[in-house]
Amino acid sequence: MEALGPPRGLIVDLITPLNQDRSIDGRGLGHLLDRLSPLAHAVFLAGPDTGEGKNLSLAQRLELLEKALVVVRGRIPILFWITQDTEEKTTETLLGLKKTLKRRRYEGQVFWVDTPLYYHSNRGLPALYRNLSSMVNEPFILHNAPEFIRGLAKPMKRSNIRTAILKELVSLKAIVGLIFLGSLDRAHNYQKACRSRARFRIYDGDETHFMNHPSMSGVVSSGANLAPGAWQKITESSLRITADQDNYPEYLHQVWDLGQYLRDLKGIYQRAPVTIIKEVLADKGIIETPTCTFPTKDVEESKRRAKELMDRYGDCPTP
Amino acid sequence: MVIKQAKEVLKIEAQGILSLVDRVGPEFEKAIEVIMKAKGRVILAGMGKSGLVARKIAATLNSTGTPSQFLHPAEAIHGDLGMVTSDDVVVAISNSGQTTEINNILPMLKKIGAKIIGFTGGMDSPMAEACDLLIDVGVEREACPMGMAPTASTTAALAMGDALAVVLINRRHFNQDDFKRFHPGGSLGERLAVKVREIMLTNDRIPMVPLGSKVQQVIEEIDAKKVGATLIIGKDRRLAGIVSDGDLRRALLRHKNIHGMKIEDIMSPSPKTIDESQTAAEALGLMELNAITHLVIVDKHNRVKGVVHLHDLLGRKDFRINGGFRPTTGADR
Repeated sequence: MEALGPPRGLIVDLITPLNQDRSIDGRGLGHLLDRLSPLAHAVFLAGPDTGEGKNLSLAQRLELLEKALVVVRGRIPILFWITQDTEEKTTETLLGLKKTLKRRRYEGQVFWVDTPLYYHSNRGLPALYRNLSSMVNEPFILHNAPEFIRGLAKPMKRSNIRTAILKELVSLKAIVGLIFLGSLDRAHNYQKACRSRARFRIYDGDETHFMNHPSMSGVVSSGANLAPGAWQKITESSLRITADQDNYPEYLHQVWDLGQYLRDLKGIYQRAPVTIIKEVLADKGIIETPTCTFPTKDVEESKRRAKELMDRYGDCPTP
Repeated sequence: MVIKQAKEVLKIEAQGILSLVDRVGPEFEKAIEVIMKAKGRVILAGMGKSGLVARKIAATLNSTGTPSQFLHPAEAIHGDLGMVTSDDVVVAISNSGQTTEINNILPMLKKIGAKIIGFTGGMDSPMAEACDLLIDVGVEREACPMGMAPTASTTAALAMGDALAVVLINRRHFNQDDFKRFHPGGSLGERLAVKVREIMLTNDRIPMVPLGSKVQQVIEEIDAKKVGATLIIGKDRRLAGIVSDGDLRRALLRHKNIHGMKIEDIMSPSPKTIDESQTAAEALGLMELNAITHLVIVDKHNRVKGVVHLHDLLGRKDFRINGGFRPTTGADR
């Protein structure tokens, strides 16, 4: 199987818009994706944290993919998180999602994102992916998220993919990238492990890392739910995707200002990203309700500050 | 915090260079072959920080035996393209491969017939499509935030330029003597700081004949000591004059047969002198001022102690006044 080329640039870690009955808010999803598609290079659906994937049932994930396919229509690549708490359930999810693609005869680019250490040890990972990739045609993107794994409260469990294992995984054509969270030193080691594969992508899963020392593959950003235009400019400037700007140095001044804006915005939403982002988007009428899959805390003050900041920067999303 | 950040930047830049190691392959070899076969120069082009990198690579290539020149892409379309010929090889540097000024001149360079080698991280970029050969200098991570300034990527391009220069050094069998020819500043500066006494010719290496000698003896002395002149000395080795190749030439023009003449008739009676404690730089200044190539070193009684020739000041073995670079082995050029 020849893997499709992975995207490079801004990947929006999309929130999952929910109705009050916790079904997928299709209208809100449409608004979100229509707003983001022209600005992002890809969209990450059902991500474990921002997309609440760890709390979504299989039925909800299937519904989310189905509705997203209708809206995206191949305009940008879709990354979809397939992980469940066991190998069997993960396989079942993958096959269910695959069936949805098939039924929709979807021809756009889709990548399956998996956090293997959530349900598997390092040992035997290459065999696992040989098996998974034999079931589907779409390529895989690994997700290394040590904090997320530590949250499982299994003290003996390794929270990072071992570098030697990653080196083996990279030799599989079906695996085309990695969303990386962790230390810079580990990032260097992973980069070394992946050098045998040209165009293997290592995305920054941590927005702050990307803002400081950008990975040339791109970033997976939850803040882009709120400020996709600013994130697009910062990402394209960091990756020099667009042609050099004619209005230099004014362009760099703009980028500097936008960078500060995004840092300030992150400072507001990082306390409870999903809740605050959903509250702001619901307040702006982009999604129907701020409903989450988990009990939320009072974020009124953060919402007010985020809206004020966005207004100040002229970043006023409308449905 | 400051130390940590600095270390992070250095690690990112180091990794940027290391990531190139596995990507050096057949395209690099072809680039070397293209440059080796080129009859013209290597023209380096880049904008902004890449332009600075291009300038440094051009300087390195020049220092190491590959004639090279920097071309500013923005100036190129205002006439500087005239410096490029079909014999030249152009190395265009742009990390993104999207630099407008570079991409604007590539079609014109193609039309001229110069070969184009691209240094870029944008292997799918417009620049990549326009180049004959591509060297991948893309990095995995930049150290500077938000594209404010290229950091690891320019370091990587610079290192790749050094790789190119060093491989060319080896291919051209460029050696220490060749290097000295391109860097007279260092060795010459050192040489000119020494005292005249340290470099003057003394004792039997001094060409000299007594007053009253025949011209034939003078010619034999000049020929034997190979300094292009001989001193004429009187009693107690006191300096009486000098006869140079030029004096002989002028005498021949005037008298046709000079062999029977006395040396007093053709010598220059007041040769320029210098004290042995003065520096070679001062000696060189005196020679320049008087348009001569010899100075005589005498003591306070005007007795000859030595003689110094222009070549002794500049280093006889290492320096050729009128020579450009001539490689030690010519097989590869």
